[in-house]
Amino acid sequence: MSLLKLEQATIKFGGLVAVNSVSFELEKGDLFGLIGPNGAGKTTCFNIITGVYAPTSGKINFDGRDITGTPSNKIAQQGICRTFQNIRLFHSLSSLENVVVGGFLRHKTVLGSALCYLPSAIKETDELKAKAMELLELVDLADVANTRSRDLPYGKQRRLEIARALATQPKLLLLDEPAAGMNPQEKMELLQMVKKIRDVLGVTVLLIEHDMKFVMNLCERILVLDHGEEIAQGPPAEIRSNPKVIAAYLGEAV
Amino acid sequence: MQFNFGKWFGTRAISVIVAVLFCLLLDKVMQGPDKSYYRFLMSLAGIYVTLAVSLNLINGITGQFSIGHAAFYQIGAYTGAVLAANKFSHLAATKPLLWLFLAALFGAIAAGLAGLIVGLPSLRLKGDYLAVVTLGIGEIVTIIAKNQKSLGEAYGLSTAKIESVFLISLLAIVCIAVCRNLLKSAHGLAFLAVREDEVASAAMGVNLTRVKVTAFVLGSAFAGAAGALYAHTKAFVSPPDFSMDVSFLILTMVVLGGTGSITGTTIAAVVLFLIPEKMRDLPYVQMGTPLGVAIGIIVAVVLLRKIQESFHGSASERLGRNLGSVGIGIVVAFVMAKVLVMVPAFQSMINGALFRMPVLAVTLVVLMLLRPQGIFGHHEFSWSWVQKLLGKKSPETEVAA
Amino acid sequence: MLDLVSLNVAGLDFTTLPQQLVNGFLLGAIYALVALGYTMVYGVLKLINFAHGEVFMLGSYGAMFASWMMGFGPGGSAVAGSWVTLLLMLLMAMLVSGSAGFVIERFAYRPIRNHPRIASLITAIGLSLLLQYGGQAFLLEGKKQAITSKVNPFSDDFVFTPKKADAALVAQAAALQPEVDAAQKAFDARLPFEKSKFELSPEGDRLNKALAEITAKRDSLQNQATTSAVTIRLPKGKLIMLTTTILLMIGLWYLVMKTRMGRAMRAVSVDFNASSLMGINLNTVISFTFILGSVLAGAGAMMYSTFQSAPIDPFSGTAPGVKAFVAAVLGGIGNIPGAVVGAILMGVAENLVTWAGYSSYRDAIAFVILIAVLLFKPGGLLGSNKVEKV
Repeated sequence: MSLLKLEQATIKFGGLVAVNSVSFELEKGDLFGLIGPNGAGKTTCFNIITGVYAPTSGKINFDGRDITGTPSNKIAQQGICRTFQNIRLFHSLSSLENVVVGGFLRHKTVLGSALCYLPSAIKETDELKAKAMELLELVDLADVANTRSRDLPYGKQRRLEIARALATQPKLLLLDEPAAGMNPQEKMELLQMVKKIRDVLGVTVLLIEHDMKFVMNLCERILVLDHGEEIAQGPPAEIRSNPKVIAAYLGEAV
Repeated sequence: MQFNFGKWFGTRAISVIVAVLFCLLLDKVMQGPDKSYYRFLMSLAGIYVTLAVSLNLINGITGQFSIGHAAFYQIGAYTGAVLAANKFSHLAATKPLLWLFLAALFGAIAAGLAGLIVGLPSLRLKGDYLAVVTLGIGEIVTIIAKNQKSLGEAYGLSTAKIESVFLISLLAIVCIAVCRNLLKSAHGLAFLAVREDEVASAAMGVNLTRVKVTAFVLGSAFAGAAGALYAHTKAFVSPPDFSMDVSFLILTMVVLGGTGSITGTTIAAVVLFLIPEKMRDLPYVQMGTPLGVAIGIIVAVVLLRKIQESFHGSASERLGRNLGSVGIGIVVAFVMAKVLVMVPAFQSMINGALFRMPVLAVTLVVLMLLRPQGIFGHHEFSWSWVQKLLGKKSPETEVAA
Repeated sequence: MLDLVSLNVAGLDFTTLPQQLVNGFLLGAIYALVALGYTMVYGVLKLINFAHGEVFMLGSYGAMFASWMMGFGPGGSAVAGSWVTLLLMLLMAMLVSGSAGFVIERFAYRPIRNHPRIASLITAIGLSLLLQYGGQAFLLEGKKQAITSKVNPFSDDFVFTPKKADAALVAQAAALQPEVDAAQKAFDARLPFEKSKFELSPEGDRLNKALAEITAKRDSLQNQATTSAVTIRLPKGKLIMLTTTILLMIGLWYLVMKTRMGRAMRAVSVDFNASSLMGINLNTVISFTFILGSVLAGAGAMMYSTFQSAPIDPFSGTAPGVKAFVAAVLGGIGNIPGAVVGAILMGVAENLVTWAGYSSYRDAIAFVILIAVLLFKPGGLLGSNKVEKV
């Protein structure tokens, strides 16, 4: 059974159809790429999946449940988490605290015990911090755990966003242009990291990326969007030779 | 770090005992008919600390820009006053302290409910729009109180006079403790996350509605409790005590102390409350004097800003220059004051007490010009910080704790 | 035609409704001038300029001092004003407000423009308090002042009567006139030399009572006839006020839509940083916006205190300031036509509340409307409800 299934998802902003009847399915353990020229509706797709916008029509199924129109925080609870194209960290919190917020949705203690500083709340906070530390090690940020996230360099901020998203213990991770602004060396490291996330943590990954080399090397299946509509879907080799894709990316060596 | 129950219990128990003893001591020191003025000052300082710290929870920690905090303060005060005058007059007369405690509780409940009613629909609004709505609610509450016969209309309501420095300081300490505990836990981080970025916190599974409403209800409830205590401290409540200016004053305390910093807010609350209070009995002065002082302040501020913008030397040199600028400002103020009073036009006498609010306002503007992040910024007082300051090595880093 | 009397519900006098609507519209026009300042400053700086109410207050002082200089002060000798008096007062108010706005922006807001917005907001609150309470210390000891009505030479009213008095009632009242005359005549004919004694005598008493009775009957009919009419009185002064307001708004529209500076203003309000990269001098544009907004507030202040006879003291800017601000938010802050629409709604609503007999709640209505509107349309009436880009 598929993990995520979009059926004819459509969203309109006024007269603009940003995403037009897009359907695709993700199997558990997939590494799926979403590509397309600027303004093709990729990020909007993410926003529909994560509940930032409700789709105008169509259905979204996740893990056997209909999540169409569910609010963001509930979707995160059900196991979809994401990063953002324009980094959205909690800027004045430290790296560690950022990741703790990610892990917070699995909390069990009630607010009252936190307000009274009861042992249960302290223990839970300590546990969350320990888990957060592990994740920071995974993305190689343990040394900057106490640095305010706004003071981190760009590449580290992107990795911190991934760690924060992983802290929610997602089944499906959405990465919005994770390699943007990185140098080739950093991109290579990121590629390994994403593979590790899938292989070691068993998280399904759906990602948007403009760097074709990155996508072709990493993803096993790719969906191409243009003007909000699907123009191709398949493994990288097929996509590379698809005439429609070449037309959409005219001039760019795919 | 492993959690140690014995250590936790020990520290908690000692803190609670110390806090209660401190409040009792304060109460004891403030007893006696000759100290009624100081008792009043102390009580109001405690009330303002509660108000400022509770608004800090809404504004500074959760980032919901509320500028109508006096509304909840007023609801608490009127609840306490009305109940004491009607249903509970017997209790208030026979067991004043018990009643005062109950009044604070009722005030908190009433204001908390109001906070819930305001908080829920206001969640749709952001930033400035939320600010305006809270401002409006503050005004509406005052206007209703002004027009209700049962609430004494524009004149106000008198109620039983019950003073208790103990309860007031305890309330302030509880309020501070609750906020501090919150910030120490993962729950508090969720609140801060909402302040930093709503979209991202929702994507991380934080329930925005719950966080915001909790902040509103909790903050309002503390303000309501403070209101009920205020009503009995003064034995009288009237609409001007809860005007827009009061909301602004509380907001100023929060911002001046450093938005989000409990320590800063507490200190700013005491200072900002005491400055105008102490200026009530200033003598009459000639108009030239305050004008001279104003010119001195302007000179000092201009110099200080120039240093901030273009001086990049060592810290000690910077400090020297800053002190020098302040010195020049003071000299200019003196000279100008002496010179200006020689001008006949500036010799008319002005009541010094009129300068209470202008001084407050000037403090605000000057601070924003020189240190807009507030005195404390985001920093908090902590023991490891004191130890660092004293040159000792901190036993554990913040992360491990 | 309009038969408002029959609509008389719950003790409300519907014949005075049109007059109240007109009053509300006129008041709203003044609020609009002030609201424009809030909305324009918000548009370019995203700053709620809480000191704008105080700029308004300074403007009314400016107008008042101008009138004093022309001999309308306490103990002044001038008797009646003219066009020139009013114009000079208007210019003075605009000058004072404009300079105040410029100074406030240059020396308080500009230095902290790059700091978090809350810093500017607190500065705004601080300035507002400073001007209010500083005014209390330095401006005539903060005592309540007023501009004498002598400055306004146009004190008579235009009277409109959309619905004439009930003809039947008028006729009835007229029909009673001969009877009144007859009674008067009867009384006068029997009136001997000493009137007071005669009035005490039984016959005099009877005749006198008959006269009083018939007169009362006629008066009551006449009264009914008058109240059946719907009259709207428009003081000429207020018409001047309205005309000036409309002219100023046309001027503003021209400035914003047709000039280079206006285009720069609009660009800055769309994207602050991008417009500075496009070579727009932000400092000039922002200064200009503040001056423009303040000048309009000054004009509003002069008209408010002259034609609406509002008293002047250091706190007199707060109430109109807050209402204008609410009006700006109601219309969608940052949106210029929105501010005008919001302000007129606000003025009308305020007068309607007074008309309905809840005048003590007239200051609350602004906020009630605001909250109600924002809950359903969080961006204001004409404001766009921007979706945050993720």
